[in-house]
Amino acid sequence: MNRVLFNIDNKMLDQIHSTSLELLGDTGIRFPNKEALEIFKHHGFKTDGEMVFFRNEDIEKAIKTVPETFKLHARNEDNSFLIGDDSYRMAPGYGPPFIIENSGEMRNAVLDDTKKFCKLVQTSKALDFNSSIVAQPNDVPAETAHLDMLLSTMLLTDKPLMGSTSSKTCAQESLEMARMIWGNTDKPVMLNLVDSLSPLQYAEEMVDALLVYAKAKQPLIIHSSCSMGSSGPITLAGSLVISNACTLAGICLTQLVNPGTPVVYGLGGSPTDMKTGGYVNASPEDAKHTAIVTALGRYYHIPCRSQGALTESFSLDYQAGMESSMMLTTAALSGVHVSLHACGTYGSMLAMSFEKFIADEDLCCAIKKLMKPIEFNEDAFAMDLVKKLGTSGNYLIEPHTAMRCRSEFFIPDLNIRTLHSKWLRMEPRQMDQRASQLLGKRLLAYEKPDIDPLIEKDLIKYVENKKIK
Amino acid sequence: MAIIDILNAVVEFDKVAVVENVKNAINSKTPIDDILNKGLIEAMDVVGEKFSSGEVFVPEMLQAAKAMQAGLEILKPHLTGDAMIAKGTVIIGTVKGDLHDIGKNLVTMMVEGAGFNVVDLGVDVDTDKFISEAQAHDADVVCLSALLTTTMPIMAKTVEAFKEAGLKAKTIIGGAPVTDAYAQQIGADGFSDNAPGAVELIRKLVAA
Repeated sequence: MNRVLFNIDNKMLDQIHSTSLELLGDTGIRFPNKEALEIFKHHGFKTDGEMVFFRNEDIEKAIKTVPETFKLHARNEDNSFLIGDDSYRMAPGYGPPFIIENSGEMRNAVLDDTKKFCKLVQTSKALDFNSSIVAQPNDVPAETAHLDMLLSTMLLTDKPLMGSTSSKTCAQESLEMARMIWGNTDKPVMLNLVDSLSPLQYAEEMVDALLVYAKAKQPLIIHSSCSMGSSGPITLAGSLVISNACTLAGICLTQLVNPGTPVVYGLGGSPTDMKTGGYVNASPEDAKHTAIVTALGRYYHIPCRSQGALTESFSLDYQAGMESSMMLTTAALSGVHVSLHACGTYGSMLAMSFEKFIADEDLCCAIKKLMKPIEFNEDAFAMDLVKKLGTSGNYLIEPHTAMRCRSEFFIPDLNIRTLHSKWLRMEPRQMDQRASQLLGKRLLAYEKPDIDPLIEKDLIKYVENKKIK
Repeated sequence: MAIIDILNAVVEFDKVAVVENVKNAINSKTPIDDILNKGLIEAMDVVGEKFSSGEVFVPEMLQAAKAMQAGLEILKPHLTGDAMIAKGTVIIGTVKGDLHDIGKNLVTMMVEGAGFNVVDLGVDVDTDKFISEAQAHDADVVCLSALLTTTMPIMAKTVEAFKEAGLKAKTIIGGAPVTDAYAQQIGADGFSDNAPGAVELIRKLVAA
């Protein structure tokens, strides 16, 4: 699938791989984490201070033990899903501390925003799971914000979720909360994002979180990216190699800790704005990384992850639609398995917008429809009907059409398909205003999913106790 | 059998249930007038409203109309007196030079569903045919349909011809390129951009 879009053949992938191995062996990756360094040393890796050097066979061995697919379990088993193969799963924005309103005003996100997004995720036709930081709340203590966010997700949604990777404590507490629902399980119930720190290193806290989750055999997204021209080379080839090397090193550590730990391969890259030195995303260069990450993921037989509907824009304008669509369409057509940031982000992933979230859902649903395999069977060919109607037919009146009229085509919730005269009379008419209207209806129609009252009580008590401490 | 069951079966476009429920209602001596007006016709009003609000889709509305007609067939032999009288007679057709009939057929089914006697002249219908059929059937309303911008002027010509002929029938127009402004410009009595809207318009014109 990935080779449809770009001319990425095995020879090129071999070249990226072998160059990455050269870098891993010659320069190594920095792991400023005592426990990780001990693990590497214990397995005979060459180290120099905090630098770890990898041999080809170390990487090859690690890749072999990563499962090609795994099932991520939800609190409601109906919402569980497979990651890998032909599946494509989406989650909303990850990490933004701000909210941009329709007026253009940007404000700090609060816990109530996080909860609203949880409700939207739960009722979303597009999104399959929630991120762990759909919006970083500013009105609760930062030390325990991960608990507030996770509790919101656990109580307000019954879709799969992500754990916090901000620190060892955050990861441990996330796991403890997961165990209150699932018990002491090693089945994948919590997907966790570990980002490297470009170039060629990991932050200590991220490695701590990686170790916590790998020991519990919980799935990890190992993701590396650089700002091309500032934290990495300006060229795509150079960016790919430093990020691939870093991701492979992280994957290797997960498998040393606990062979068979599910991993999602992640790699990205965004240009540095050469006019300002600032970070830019949602560019064709980002999209190219997305295409190549899927090729590399499949090359290594590991499920892969990409960015989602990103934009540099701050409003629901042409730029937001164009950039979001380019990013997500490229990801889908390239065959990516997981997209974070699929709904709601503005301006370099710095802010979330409720209206953009609603608009992105249409995009996500359209893309999922685009990716749905074409049905080829007797009922789909409808030859009996075609022969019966011949040249005089009106298919609109046939039961065959009625039976499929809700499922056969993509039906947008926000995008308009109307007459110009009706559009002129539409109140409200502007897309952001219509999105606000839909948002209100969605929140009004939200119903909290069932949960065992004892588990709910325990989760709330756990978070309260941690906050008191 | 309760009238509401007939109504619900039409709304759910369950043809088999409509036929069954109408038979049961007749057997249990439910007033025929109620089965027709409060069951079948009111059901199509509900469907029309649901269509206008986006809840029901076009193919579903058509299946509901078919289910309603199946019920009507069962009812027909029992229709006597007031119940037998149609709400009015409507002539419909796509104008000369235009072979498009999807929208026209849709309107036909919905207007029939509302209890009107509908004479469908088909497609490529010239002005003289509209006039002569309207006279022959003593039509209350004549519906002109066109999809092509090139055939829209035929609508103007036909509306003009009805005025000259001095017939009582009101003329209304519809079709993708047609607008309310165009209807006013050519002196038609009304315009609708959707089938339930056409039913409402015809009701108003017949009642006026």
